[in-house]
Amino acid sequence: MGTLHEIIHENVREGELYEKLDRNWVRCFACGHCCKIPDGQPGVCKVRYNRSGTLYVPWGYVGGIQCDPIEKKPFFHAHPGALAYSFGMLGCDLHCAYCQNWVTSQALRDPAAAVGPMRVTPADLVLDATRQGGRVIVSTYNEPLITSEWALAVFKEARAAGLVTGFVSNGNGTPQVLEYLRPWVDLYKVDLKSFDDRHYRQLGGRLQPILDTIRCLHEMGFWLEIVTLVIPGFNDSTDELTRLAEFLAAVSPDIPWHVTAFHKDYKMTDPENTTAETLMRAAEIGKRAGLRYVYAGNLPGMVGDWENTRCPKCRELLIERNGYLITGYHLTPQGCCPSCGASIPGRWDPAFRRQITARPFVPLMRPQSDLLVLDS
Amino acid sequence: MAYIIAEPCIGTRDTACVDVCPVDCIHPAKGRTYDDGRPTFDEVPQLYIDPPECIDCGACVPVCPVTAIFPLEDLPEKWHAYIETNKNYVDGGKFQPDKYQKASS
Repeated sequence: MGTLHEIIHENVREGELYEKLDRNWVRCFACGHCCKIPDGQPGVCKVRYNRSGTLYVPWGYVGGIQCDPIEKKPFFHAHPGALAYSFGMLGCDLHCAYCQNWVTSQALRDPAAAVGPMRVTPADLVLDATRQGGRVIVSTYNEPLITSEWALAVFKEARAAGLVTGFVSNGNGTPQVLEYLRPWVDLYKVDLKSFDDRHYRQLGGRLQPILDTIRCLHEMGFWLEIVTLVIPGFNDSTDELTRLAEFLAAVSPDIPWHVTAFHKDYKMTDPENTTAETLMRAAEIGKRAGLRYVYAGNLPGMVGDWENTRCPKCRELLIERNGYLITGYHLTPQGCCPSCGASIPGRWDPAFRRQITARPFVPLMRPQSDLLVLDS
Repeated sequence: MAYIIAEPCIGTRDTACVDVCPVDCIHPAKGRTYDDGRPTFDEVPQLYIDPPECIDCGACVPVCPVTAIFPLEDLPEKWHAYIETNKNYVDGGKFQPDKYQKASS
């Protein structure tokens, strides 16, 4: 196929999340940047671009596919143990120096991040997901908001096959894109990276659109969980974590908050890896702010009780975890505490089904499928 | 880091950069008056990027007709004074009257 830029210019169709302006300019609504784009230029994401007054958006390929336990996304209050079939495209509207998915997200800014995308149809993906035993299909790895049109095409097919759908996103949304997604997206994970606008600007965004998106997601009834990667020296001050947790608790104390451990990656190699002590301090802050479900992630077996779900009323142990592995499941079929009967917020199955995997794996379907590898 | 507007902007002041900036950090905008008394579009020799507001997205670079905008690390040595020049107009949304007058005198 040729270069990455050729791939993203050939695998497109007209977008739905934009308006035409005069002089052949357009305004895109897919993410919080709301780029005004002149003829011939891409938006900040570099994958949505204006050609003669029409906005073209990514279509018909994936930059990566993986089977993940849903706990890895992380969703802890939605279909525990389910296999989440995860796909991504290319590009991101931010440029975080510590990105753990930079191979796909930064491929268009950084030649060192090149991957070989595959051409697929929504039916290919959904068939593969169901063959693997996936019950949830998730748009992730790159920023899904900027490839929302494609995600929706996949999700419409997925719903028809009985799958649950989800976004794993930086939350830099707009009211327009959330309205567009609402009928087709069940689960929404927002990575709230900081509570300081200056920090967000270093990552290429602003804090306010993300806070607005979190409020909207909750009000609109998406199943919302929040994750914060705790980075020593960047966002681990007690003051910042307290303000962040208090904001979430004010939206709803029922929103699960995952604080996860940083490991050195991409261009951010200066901070030390997050210790269990720091992570548990962050979790305590969340609990003190009034959040009922706080989890410490990425350090399995090292964070005590912070991997488990307990009843906020009677402290009964409801779901036990070690990393992505469910080691105990005690919720009632209605999603209630078996001891005191309190209803636990989430999207629960009538019973725990055994896990297909507690580790991510790349599906082996490629030789049997019709997917075409695009040479980059 | 931020992007810097350098010498080629002087006398050009094309405002495509202002139009594409997603965070409104390039000033002064044409036809806009500001509450803090800063010089307006008609009174400045060039446009300026507010360093702490800039998110380093680079959207302004390809639309500049005179190639005046550079990421800090690519700014030609001869234009390094423009790092201060940009910052001396507004810094974090605050007009810097003393610094601006000193820089332009």
